[in-house]
Amino acid sequence: MRKPDGKIVLLGDMNVGKTSLLQRYMERRFPDTVSTVGGAFYLKQWRSFNISIWDTAGREQFHGLGSMYCRGAAAVILTYDVNHPQSLLELEDRFLGLTETANNDCLFAIVGNKVDLALERATEGGEKEGEASGKAGSCVSSKVPRQVQPEDAMALYKKILKHKMLDEREMPAAERMCFETSAKTGYNVDLLFETLFDLVVPMISRQRAEEPSQIVDIASCKAPTRTRSGCCT
Amino acid sequence: MDHPVDMMNIKAFTLVSAVERELLTGDKEHISIECVECCGRNLYVGTNDCFIYHFLLEEKAMPTGTTSFTATKQLHRHLGFKKPVNELCAASALNRLLVLCDNSITLVNMLNLEPVPSGARIKGATTFAVNENPVNGDPFCVEVCIISVKRRTVQMFLVYEDRVQIVKEVSTPEQPLAVAVDGYFLCLALTTQYIILNYSTGLSQDLFPYCSEEKPPIVKRIGRQEFLLAGPGGLGMFATVAGISQRAPVHWSENVIGAAVCFPYVIALDDEFITVHSMLDQQQKQTLPFKEGHILQDFEGRVIVATSKGVYILVPLPLEKQIQDLLASRRVEEALVLAKGARRNIPKEKFQVMYRRILQQAGFIQFAQLQFLEAKELFRSSQLDVRELISLYPFLLPTSSSFTRCHPPLHEYADLNQLTQGDQEKMAKCKRFLMSYLNEVRSTEVANGYKEDIDTALLKLYAEADHDSLLDLLVTENFCLLTDSAAWLEKHKKYFALGLLYHYNKQDASAVQLWVNIVNGDIQDSTRSDLYEYIVDFLTYCLDQELVWAHADWLLQKSEEIGVQVFTKRPLDEQQQTSFNPDDIIRCLKKYPKALVKYLEHLVIDRRLQKEEYHTHLATLYLEEVLRQRVATDSKDIEATETQVKLRRLLQKSDSYRVHLLKEKIQDAGLPMESAILHGKLGEHEKALHILVHEMGDFSAAEDYCLWGSEGQDTACRQHLFHTLLAMYLRAGPSAHELTVAAVDLLNHHAREFDATQVLQLLPDTWSVQLLCPFLTGAMRDSIHARRTTQVALGLAKSENLIYMYDKMKLKGSAVRLSEKKLCQLCQNPFGEPVFVRYPNGGLVHTHCAASRHTTPSSPSPGTRT
Repeated sequence: MRKPDGKIVLLGDMNVGKTSLLQRYMERRFPDTVSTVGGAFYLKQWRSFNISIWDTAGREQFHGLGSMYCRGAAAVILTYDVNHPQSLLELEDRFLGLTETANNDCLFAIVGNKVDLALERATEGGEKEGEASGKAGSCVSSKVPRQVQPEDAMALYKKILKHKMLDEREMPAAERMCFETSAKTGYNVDLLFETLFDLVVPMISRQRAEEPSQIVDIASCKAPTRTRSGCCT
Repeated sequence: MDHPVDMMNIKAFTLVSAVERELLTGDKEHISIECVECCGRNLYVGTNDCFIYHFLLEEKAMPTGTTSFTATKQLHRHLGFKKPVNELCAASALNRLLVLCDNSITLVNMLNLEPVPSGARIKGATTFAVNENPVNGDPFCVEVCIISVKRRTVQMFLVYEDRVQIVKEVSTPEQPLAVAVDGYFLCLALTTQYIILNYSTGLSQDLFPYCSEEKPPIVKRIGRQEFLLAGPGGLGMFATVAGISQRAPVHWSENVIGAAVCFPYVIALDDEFITVHSMLDQQQKQTLPFKEGHILQDFEGRVIVATSKGVYILVPLPLEKQIQDLLASRRVEEALVLAKGARRNIPKEKFQVMYRRILQQAGFIQFAQLQFLEAKELFRSSQLDVRELISLYPFLLPTSSSFTRCHPPLHEYADLNQLTQGDQEKMAKCKRFLMSYLNEVRSTEVANGYKEDIDTALLKLYAEADHDSLLDLLVTENFCLLTDSAAWLEKHKKYFALGLLYHYNKQDASAVQLWVNIVNGDIQDSTRSDLYEYIVDFLTYCLDQELVWAHADWLLQKSEEIGVQVFTKRPLDEQQQTSFNPDDIIRCLKKYPKALVKYLEHLVIDRRLQKEEYHTHLATLYLEEVLRQRVATDSKDIEATETQVKLRRLLQKSDSYRVHLLKEKIQDAGLPMESAILHGKLGEHEKALHILVHEMGDFSAAEDYCLWGSEGQDTACRQHLFHTLLAMYLRAGPSAHELTVAAVDLLNHHAREFDATQVLQLLPDTWSVQLLCPFLTGAMRDSIHARRTTQVALGLAKSENLIYMYDKMKLKGSAVRLSEKKLCQLCQNPFGEPVFVRYPNGGLVHTHCAASRHTTPSSPSPGTRT
């Protein structure tokens, strides 16, 4: 089994489309998915690196696993459904806490999925508004065709940086890290993952450089220095 | 949770009975099995009535391919309590069995089950785990971690043959319930969560929450630094000592009791079933109904399940068998995943052979489903002997091929007909695939050793499909077998290609004959519409003279102009000895006048041969043609025909033909221009010009004559010609007005060709200066130019002279001092009188020495002369 060099974790409430996003990117298709049990992951080769992308279960039952999945993550994709404002609120309330175990310099992307539905709704003139907003709570006017605006996501992003005590100037800008996607049409899906890969790869390289090398350089070895190998000592 | 009969199931394990009920509890209902341990052939069973049973397991391979076990009871022993035996663990290196009973771990002899005489034991343990990745270097010592009866405490012990030693006690944040050990890491199930605890540093890491009150936790070490844990919702979670998960979880039933690992499978037990999941793709692979099971454990790869009454073994089917089963049901993806996963469990060499074969089988499965892209990748990566694939296609392998399909076969198909069930469209697709595949591999190392088979097969496919690449294949390096390919090409009427094949096999004669037959219409092949030209071209570059001669007549009969190219267009770098003799060719071309003319033109004009016969012959042929045309048109056309132009040009340019002969032929033929040229060739310029001026009245021709007639000669000659012409014009007197005008034009146009002083004397006094203005200006300009260039030359000569004078002065300039000390360089005597010879290098010698030196060359040289 190839060992992954870096990890990206998808978090978010159930039914926001985490599995669909990942399948759209990895398998270029949009099949019907069932509720994810536990978690699953894909290995993606990006340049010379293997990046594992973990799909987590959004169901409350598996919430406890999130922390472990996030451990050592280089990036976390916080996913919500642009048609369900509650799913954005949940990110802050339930999922942000899971990312404590991620790397200190962990990147955050905030992704509003299912924009295809929002657009449809805009043209249909809001037939299903009532139902949708009823589910999501009544905090958003039902006149607005789209329930969550990109600005809301960017505000959350900035809040996260503040919460993590990360310097806003050193982190990628909110405009760059907040996406609106459609796993159904493929809209922005490649952009999302590939932007993250391109940001994660230099982090992995940096980590590698900091770690002691696993390769013994015979040529430059001056004297055999005994190193503690973990075995039987 | 129900378990439908899953189509995706495979048979990874068979469940066989190991210990019959009678051997253990018999019909005593109250006795039940509490724990089992298996170590090599030793099987131990602990019961609720405080007995330990020792069995020897005997494994027998059945002819059906399965395995059966028989257990022979060695002995059983009562431990002397009224408590059940909770756990058993063998430490074979110490020959000890660790027995947990009544919260105390005792050591008993593995063979006679006697407690160690020292009575060493670990007290106060509720459960324990042996460290299978020990950190202590002593091979005669096992590391044991116990969960203490003390609240929230775990303890590490070293257990020796007859003593135990506590190493560490660590307290935990909550009450621990289950433990597994790897190195310094304890994986602990606490009341509400799982944690990883480094007992050396005391650092701990939370894994995930778990409610142990609802369901008993499972903690199971599955390999180096990795554990398997029962998670929420019936998940089997993987976690490493670093606290991360590197495998996706497997999905068990909610009421799972136990779990074990037998690579690459995770096996789980609930109250009704044993389920098997693959760690490679997390899919459930097998479900075995098994009621009332309560123990599931793996011991060095052997998986044992037990009910309260009986012990059973889950016998894994050999991986290879499993893979073959998957392949047989066309589950290529899973088979490959399993095969790749098996890499670490099978010796490298064996694995590579096996894996290659599996890839190839998988390739054929994909192929049969017309999944060509996938098939190709599999064939390529498994370096399939291409002939396996070719042999599926009837008649493609050469009859001489020694190939036999590998055994056991890689697929079940006799041939393509069977595979496609006669579907022509599928067949065509398969053929197109083979074409592209062979074309790709033929230049790679996969082709080594079977190049003949591959190229021959490719040729056959191309020929059959009428594919353009057939010709490309044959004109580039290839290994098509002649007999096989020839027969096939003939069958498919690819005669042109067949010719190419012959040519490639150095049978040019057969090739050309075949093509000739096509052109003649004896056989049909429309590959090339310009086949005749092709043959001409082919023979032009053919080194085999015999072959060229054999077909020369045919070629010329078809077309004299094009056919003759075999002689005229031959590459010039052809070696002299292999080149054709022009005389032979001329002899051959006698029958083909047009061709002959072309060939002679080639000799005379292109190759510039100066042989008289060729020139005369060509001139004669031109002349005859001109005369013939004359007769045909029956009119004296003023316009010269093309041939006439050629004739004139030849007569003018060439110096090699026999002038007299032609002159004879031309007499009375009414070809004044030609006879003028001939006169000119004989130096009879007067006559020539006379014809031009007086017979033809063609003044510009006369001027031209003066120019070409003196070509390559000195200016005097040219001047002579022009003067002759001028004189001829003037001689007629002023009455012949035309000639006067011609004279003026001649002078004005060719001022430079005349000697002006002579001309002025010749001219009639009546001519005005204005009339001759261009001539006079030209003459003047010329004269001045001549003067100036002469002056320049004079100046240059003078300066050159000066340089030499300077050199001479330099040499003469320095004084030579002669004294008694100076010796002659030749005889080494002093000079007696003030006479000497000085060499340019400054050496001085006597005059007589210098003289004698010239007469006796053997005398020593006076130093280096420069």
